[in-house]
Amino acid sequence: MAGASAADVRSILSLPANATPGPSQPKKSGPSTKKPEGISRELYSLIGPSAPTLAAQIAKPRLKQKPNLGGGGKVKWQWRSFKNSGRSDSLQLSHWAKAHTDPDTEYPFAKYNVKSTEYTYAQDEYTRLLEDTEWTKEETDYLFDLVREYDSRFYIIADRYEYPNGPARSMEDMKDRYYSVCRKLIRNRPWAGDEASKAQLMSSFQFDKEREVTRKKYLASLENRTPDQIAEEEALYIELKRLEQTERRFKKERDDLLRTLMGVDSGLADLAIDDEGPFGDPKKKSKKSGGVIDLDSPATPSSSTFAPPPPKRAQSAKSAAYDALHCITRTDAPSATTPATKASHQAAAFRSMKMAYPKSSMQGKVAQVVTELGISLARLVMPTRETLAQHEALVEAAGALVETKKVVDRVDQEIRVAKARLGMRESEAPGASTPMEVDEEVGPPAEGRAPSVVSTRSARSRKQTGTTRRSLSVSSVDTTATTTRAGTKRQKLG
Amino acid sequence: MVQYGGDEVSALVLDIGSSTLRAGYAGDDTPKAIIPTTYGFKPEAESGDISMGEVGAVGEVQSSKESKMYIGQHGPSVWRADMQIGNPMSEGMISDFKPIPALISHAFRDVMRCNPEEHPILVTEPAWNTTANRERMAEIMFEEFNVPAFYIANTGVLNAFAAGKGSALVIDIGQSQASVTPVVDGFVLRKGLAHSHLPQLIQAHARHTLTNATHNHPPIQLLPHQLIANKIPAEPGTPPRFTIREDRLVKTPASLLTYYENREVDEWMQSVAGVLDQGWNEQVATQRPPRQYEFPTGFNTYFGAERFQVGEYFFSHTRDMVAQNPGLPKTIPALITQALTACDPDMRQVLMGNIVLAGGGSLFAGLGERLNNELSRNFPHVKIHAPGNPTERRYGGWLGGSILGSLGTFHQLWISKEEWQEHGKAIVGQRCK
Repeated sequence: MAGASAADVRSILSLPANATPGPSQPKKSGPSTKKPEGISRELYSLIGPSAPTLAAQIAKPRLKQKPNLGGGGKVKWQWRSFKNSGRSDSLQLSHWAKAHTDPDTEYPFAKYNVKSTEYTYAQDEYTRLLEDTEWTKEETDYLFDLVREYDSRFYIIADRYEYPNGPARSMEDMKDRYYSVCRKLIRNRPWAGDEASKAQLMSSFQFDKEREVTRKKYLASLENRTPDQIAEEEALYIELKRLEQTERRFKKERDDLLRTLMGVDSGLADLAIDDEGPFGDPKKKSKKSGGVIDLDSPATPSSSTFAPPPPKRAQSAKSAAYDALHCITRTDAPSATTPATKASHQAAAFRSMKMAYPKSSMQGKVAQVVTELGISLARLVMPTRETLAQHEALVEAAGALVETKKVVDRVDQEIRVAKARLGMRESEAPGASTPMEVDEEVGPPAEGRAPSVVSTRSARSRKQTGTTRRSLSVSSVDTTATTTRAGTKRQKLG
Repeated sequence: MVQYGGDEVSALVLDIGSSTLRAGYAGDDTPKAIIPTTYGFKPEAESGDISMGEVGAVGEVQSSKESKMYIGQHGPSVWRADMQIGNPMSEGMISDFKPIPALISHAFRDVMRCNPEEHPILVTEPAWNTTANRERMAEIMFEEFNVPAFYIANTGVLNAFAAGKGSALVIDIGQSQASVTPVVDGFVLRKGLAHSHLPQLIQAHARHTLTNATHNHPPIQLLPHQLIANKIPAEPGTPPRFTIREDRLVKTPASLLTYYENREVDEWMQSVAGVLDQGWNEQVATQRPPRQYEFPTGFNTYFGAERFQVGEYFFSHTRDMVAQNPGLPKTIPALITQALTACDPDMRQVLMGNIVLAGGGSLFAGLGERLNNELSRNFPHVKIHAPGNPTERRYGGWLGGSILGSLGTFHQLWISKEEWQEHGKAIVGQRCK
């Protein structure tokens, strides 16, 4: 079309016909005559080279290709005889093998035929090193033959050991003799490697006959227990576990109590809580606790006790003076060691927003106590730093008071229950042996534990009485819901 | 192939038990040929009797003492006039080697249709087998069957292998012997080996229960169906109405009749008898549902508590029974105790954690549960491996042989014909430990 119009233009403009487009035309028709596969010739001559490429794909439907498993299809197998290098004779067994594999390859299972290193000795070595009054050379030879035959499986060796006219040998006897001979041979022979490997090899032949015999005896006695003995041992074990558990619980409770009474945050955090728990030396404990806090007046917090420790910052004298002049109090800047993460970042805020509130579970009771003092918890008129500190101290003290009371009530209840139980037991069987007495009568192995059991009991009772004493002072403030308002007020004022 | 350690060289495995002889290819999971070890024979040769029985189903062999043998599935179980019954086994061992070649040949050549000269053969033996016996077996294999290679392995070890264990306490209850074999690392602890003819006692007791009158049933005739011409259905507990084949009865020797009767007893035990899982308790036994059983004579009745009394003998003997019979076979718990006492204390825990229950007699109803209960009461950690598949349980020894014979690492242990000719009988004891 385009070529034709160009010729027309030329003829109109009466220009000489250009020969250049000529060769391009046969060039163009050359490749287009090639018919793509899958289209019939007639169709192709109709639609020409503009046939959609899709047609070629649709035209020839193909089945889904089968998955090619094993890559190669047929494998030829051959019934073939093989030589086993583990055999000393000429027996040729046959098995199926892939035909393309080399028939002369090593039998794949021959490599499992491994022998452990054997120790043998010559006559002169024996006379020089291995003489033993218990063992003759013949019997030692017999033992070494058996060890070789059964690959050092001493259970089997002991089972098959039948040396004619020899004394009865236990497995320990045989092991002892065999290992001692091996040790002597290793020690006295020239050693090619270094000392460490020699020592290692020597240690692998270490055998303590006495210990082994004792162990077997223990094992036998363990098996010969009567069902009663087994039951008793199990009962004792359960009792021990139970005691350990109560010990742990008591210790935890005591820690909680100390924390509640003294407040770990109040500068007494370094108070040593002895790891022995309630069973530690009672004298030491009472002395320490008496020295550090006054048990009789735990509910009189002074602001100095509860005030946060003043920030110890390296301030230059000048800046301190500047701060004092301009009434600037600097809060602790985040230390350099803590990473500047989102969580550690403190946004600027009013001080009144950081007012301390009691724990939600005790809020009502704390509020009650504080209201009785004539203070409203809800709002601070002047939330200065000092006021807030005082306020916080007050809330904490009130919270501590409430918690202490709770603990006291619980301990009281426990004492009541324990007393009732004790009374019941005494009235029931005054002469009957209690489980604790049975414990004390257990034989020597249990002796180490029995006194501790007793001390557990006594320590517990001591603790309980101690708590009771402590509670006397606290119980003057009754914070339970049943208290009348007037009563509380009177106590408090008193 | 190498991963699971198998390399099949088409070995044959032969396991001869008191009731059946098992033969097959190593690597298979069940024996190809299972034929009764018991055979029928007629003392003097009869001429012109070749047409009797089909070839292949019945092995007819002229043995050296001029007698005709009837071997195989249709051997002793088919009634023949004046046919005697023989069994080469006693106490689990071969005591009479005369019929053994004929039995083996029947299994290999007639049933399996293979030529033993082309295959290595693995034979089993009980743990208490004698040296002379295993050497004789090797001799038969090499000299009469001309096998290229031979090995003889212990049934206890093979039962442990069949359970996939190298160390185990194998409790094998067969037709004539109950044995407890401690196996450690594939070796039998010979000092701990314990066995007794307990199954025979139990069969005798069952037979006694049936043939004597009880409050439940009159004496029962244990006639086999081969000797009964016809019968009419009878109500449970009523006397049977049947006609005996008198012509056959007079020509039935005592041994054949006993064999047939014992088979009836076995049948009854297999379908009806059982053992309580928590020790003998009259009340529990009566509460269990009674089972109906019909004998070939047509007599049928319901068996209640008495069917559980039979199994009780596996576990305990009553005091007066012990007083009357001093040579009473040991019960299974006694055998286990004996085996464990002889073992090293270190081994006991290992063995009790790997108990393998095997043998056809262990399929006795409720025996596995009872054993588990009895042992758990006395030992802290007991684990019993009891295959649920009856074929595996009955032919555990053969199965272990099949596994062993198809292992690549085993093929260096075969005793070859060359070695046999060179070293003689001594090689058997040296190689098969």
